[in-house]
Amino acid sequence: MSKLSRNSVGVAALAFPTWAYLAFFFIIPVALVLWYSFGFKPDLFTAHDNSVLSLDRYFETADPTFLSTFWNTLQIAGVGTLICLLIGVPFAYWLAVKVPSRWRALLLALVLVPFWTNFLVRTLGWQILLAPEGFLSDALQTMHLTTGPLSILYTRAAVQLGVVYNYLPLMVMPLFVAMDRAGASLREASRDLGANRWRTLWQVTLPLAAPGIASGCLLVFIPLMGDYITASVLGGAQGNMVGQLVANQFNSAQNWALGSAMAVVLMIFILLTVAIVGAVILAVRAVLRHNRRVVMDRTDIESAVIEEAAA
Amino acid sequence: MHGNNPLKVLAPADAVPWISRRALLGGFGVVGLSIAASAGLSGCGRSQGFAASAVPNGEVGNQLNVYSWGDYEDPEDIADFEATGVRVQLDSFGSNEELIAKLAATRGTSGYDVIVPTGVYIPQMAANGLLQPLEHALIPNMANLDPEYLDQAWDPGNKYSLPKAWGTTGYVYDTRIIKRELTSWQDFLDAASKEAAGKTAVLEDSWEVVAIYLAAKHHDMNTEDPTLLDAAEDYLVNTLAKNIRAFNSTIVSTGIPQGTFALMQAFNGDARQGMLSSSDPERWKFVFPTPTANLWMDNWAVATGTQHPDAAYAFINHMLTPEAALREVQYIGYHTGAKGLKEAALADKMELPDLVFPPHDVLDRLKSAVLNEAQERRVQILNRMESKAGA
Amino acid sequence: MTQQSTLAPPVATEAGSVQVRNVVKRYGTATAVAGVNLDVRSGEFLSLLGPSGCGKTTLLRMIAGFEEPDEGDIVLAGSSVVGVPPHKRPVNTVFQAYALFPHMSVAENVAYGLRQRRTSRAEIGARVTEALDLVQMGTFATRNPKMLSGGQQQRVALARAIVNRPKVLLLDEPMSALDRKLREEMQLELKLLQRRLGITFVFVTHDQAEALSMSDRIVVMLDGRVQQVGTAEDIYTNPATSFVAGFIGKQNFIAGTVAGNGRLVTADGEIAAADADAAPAGSAVLAAVRAESITVSTVRPDTDVNVVKAAVGAVSFLGETIQYQLTTGSGHELLARVPPLHGELLPAGSTVWCSWAPAHVQVFPNPHPSTGGQ
Repeated sequence: MSKLSRNSVGVAALAFPTWAYLAFFFIIPVALVLWYSFGFKPDLFTAHDNSVLSLDRYFETADPTFLSTFWNTLQIAGVGTLICLLIGVPFAYWLAVKVPSRWRALLLALVLVPFWTNFLVRTLGWQILLAPEGFLSDALQTMHLTTGPLSILYTRAAVQLGVVYNYLPLMVMPLFVAMDRAGASLREASRDLGANRWRTLWQVTLPLAAPGIASGCLLVFIPLMGDYITASVLGGAQGNMVGQLVANQFNSAQNWALGSAMAVVLMIFILLTVAIVGAVILAVRAVLRHNRRVVMDRTDIESAVIEEAAA
Repeated sequence: MHGNNPLKVLAPADAVPWISRRALLGGFGVVGLSIAASAGLSGCGRSQGFAASAVPNGEVGNQLNVYSWGDYEDPEDIADFEATGVRVQLDSFGSNEELIAKLAATRGTSGYDVIVPTGVYIPQMAANGLLQPLEHALIPNMANLDPEYLDQAWDPGNKYSLPKAWGTTGYVYDTRIIKRELTSWQDFLDAASKEAAGKTAVLEDSWEVVAIYLAAKHHDMNTEDPTLLDAAEDYLVNTLAKNIRAFNSTIVSTGIPQGTFALMQAFNGDARQGMLSSSDPERWKFVFPTPTANLWMDNWAVATGTQHPDAAYAFINHMLTPEAALREVQYIGYHTGAKGLKEAALADKMELPDLVFPPHDVLDRLKSAVLNEAQERRVQILNRMESKAGA
Repeated sequence: MTQQSTLAPPVATEAGSVQVRNVVKRYGTATAVAGVNLDVRSGEFLSLLGPSGCGKTTLLRMIAGFEEPDEGDIVLAGSSVVGVPPHKRPVNTVFQAYALFPHMSVAENVAYGLRQRRTSRAEIGARVTEALDLVQMGTFATRNPKMLSGGQQQRVALARAIVNRPKVLLLDEPMSALDRKLREEMQLELKLLQRRLGITFVFVTHDQAEALSMSDRIVVMLDGRVQQVGTAEDIYTNPATSFVAGFIGKQNFIAGTVAGNGRLVTADGEIAAADADAAPAGSAVLAAVRAESITVSTVRPDTDVNVVKAAVGAVSFLGETIQYQLTTGSGHELLARVPPLHGELLPAGSTVWCSWAPAHVQVFPNPHPSTGGQ
């Protein structure tokens, strides 16, 4: 017993950097944001005050602009995650399964190339590219693929394009790792047992990559919900994202209480979305499991053996 | 500016003007709300406990920290000043609220020496001890300023500030798409729902957006009349909003060269910068719309707690030389308030001078924005517009 | 031995037969399989034996369908399967690392192949139960394969393959991850299972003892070619090449020249060999003598042929035998393995006499005359 407790103390001590990191960079900041959200902005000269606590800031977030922007954000993040998934799964599959291993490192490096540039700069790159007077517009018009100048910049489509571009690597990486780890031998076993490539993908590769798919979706969806740079640079009246509102409260308006309340609402919504989607996935998996279940049956053995002998 | 009564135009003495030229209002416009709240609280005695400012002693030293709007000084002017042996650390803010919050939160330890607040904020900032009274003797070049721009209502006797730049609001349009001549705010509304439908940008500023309608209908832009504001909301939300592609106060300088919009509400200097970087400036036309528009002014001031007061005064003094004023107006496209600047700029063959030096009749009709009880209502209108446009 | 396989009766129509015809497989410039011909008879237990890189696994994978031959043909139960994808071939494989699906229970793993064939639920239940009972894993049906030991996983892998009633079962070194005791148990069980099911087994291994103990026939491979095909006894007693001789059991090779009188001339004197005159006189040959065939004694045996004086080097007690490392007068190293009953261990450093019968000497052409026997 004493040995056990001494060990656990030792383990806790060894884990100190981990929980200290968590405490300082996650728990305390989140607690602070929560605390600020109950306060108010007393005057122009002060960003926040917690001397009077209230839920008023949360009522302020129930404003139609916030709600419609929130709904926009949820759509952009949801569609963005889905598109990343639809691009990421075939790409990661191709990379993990089809590409000779000597090319993989190079291709993975190419996937990460956009990350070598600052997030804002590469998003601005899209602004220049998508502009009606920009290169893409000129090229399309020269090729007579469009009649007038390209009119996509400052629309929701531009934001959608931008977020897919910005977050795709975050989807591809965990997907690739998961599909790579599932290994060629399991796919071969599946083919050997009579499943074609398509069935192997659905019954072996994708189920085994499920943790990677889940982490890829979370890695894309969560930061995307909070993204404000892409929407600020590429979005206009349409394609607003809630991250812009939060950032404005902290930067321009200097109303930390309201910004905090918005951030808390955002976090709650992200958690709820993840929980609901997670529950749906678990339910689907339970159904699939149920369908796959094998009922052991010893009464038929005799007849089966007889059948076999007869065959 | 050579008008009979420019002072009245620049600073209505009976009102606290409300200006947020480039305040990046959230969808909420809480900036307006917080200012409304602070209007009643101004001078509530938050000046205690500030770090002491250093006293000028003639030693300029080798460091100066300037906190200004982004890209609001010609780097050449900064470099010239640095040639005197002072390193300039230039940081930028995006709204007066950001500037004020930082100064107030740090209680004089922000490290900033020279700041650039907008005129209407100066009384509150001074009352709260954020600003140091200027020692005019250390800024001999203030003699270069046109008296028309001195002694404004928000800072009588220029106790705390000296003019840095002023500008006005109008709009730019693409003459390839809008082939007729636009001159008024009514023309703006008309074009926005016709040729420029879906290709119109307005400032993300509740006062400026509501003012489009009020001015178009020849009402007082600062009105508090609920009936007028209801009419404004009805038109702006139900007719204009669906034609708006962007609510953005900083988009014009890139929007023009990229050709993204056909019609953009814009500040004169920003519009000029955008047109200058366009491959075809002739394509764009800036309008000082009738019957009226907003007029605002940014100012040099010294922050409480400054540790480099001599350098701060030397810097302001440097920026007020005729040479610096000419470079500044060329670079930022806003009039600095220097004497004879228009003549000097014209002599220097400045491009698009008409956007910086509006004619006499334009100046006469400009009015300053006012912060009043209806501000919250204006914020609400903008929110509803954004909500409608984003749906 | 090749003669024997051509003399075998036609097997093309038999359900579990495999014919490999002139199959070549290259990877870039390397040739993994260099023209292999092989007839696997229906219902037999055939082992592909050879060192790693000999092409045996590649050959197995080509039968399974994971690789396609560059040249030649593979015929399963009378029809060519070249170009047929693996899921359409009537074979199943037991993989080296078992390759059990970690996201499925034991029973679901076994049911996998049946589910692909849209077998009814009732039949799946019955056949999975049967297959698991056959490998004595019936009580583990609901377990996750990750929770099983290596031996248990192997049984599940076996059940997963045989439940589909393949015509041919391919086993890719299935025992290599098991410890020796378990491996010996499984070898016996596997052989019994094969007898009981009557399925053709093609078993890949690098372990000659494993091949010898289980197989009806053994195919010894080297460098992508078949060296010999035969029963365990054939291969042990009549190795076709010096490589086969060396790969099966412990051989001593002595370089020599054919004298023409039933004798070979070597550095340690003449060696009498039963088939010494198979090669023309004067040709360089290798004489192979098994370690088990050498008698070691402290007194000179009462014979004139095949007696060599040697010094004892290392002595190892291996349980069933004692192994002596011996150095002859010419400096040649010999290994001898003798039953322990013969007396006490001879001490290292002592001088002994080694002898062997001419019938126990096999003669092969020397593939490297200049270096052979050193």
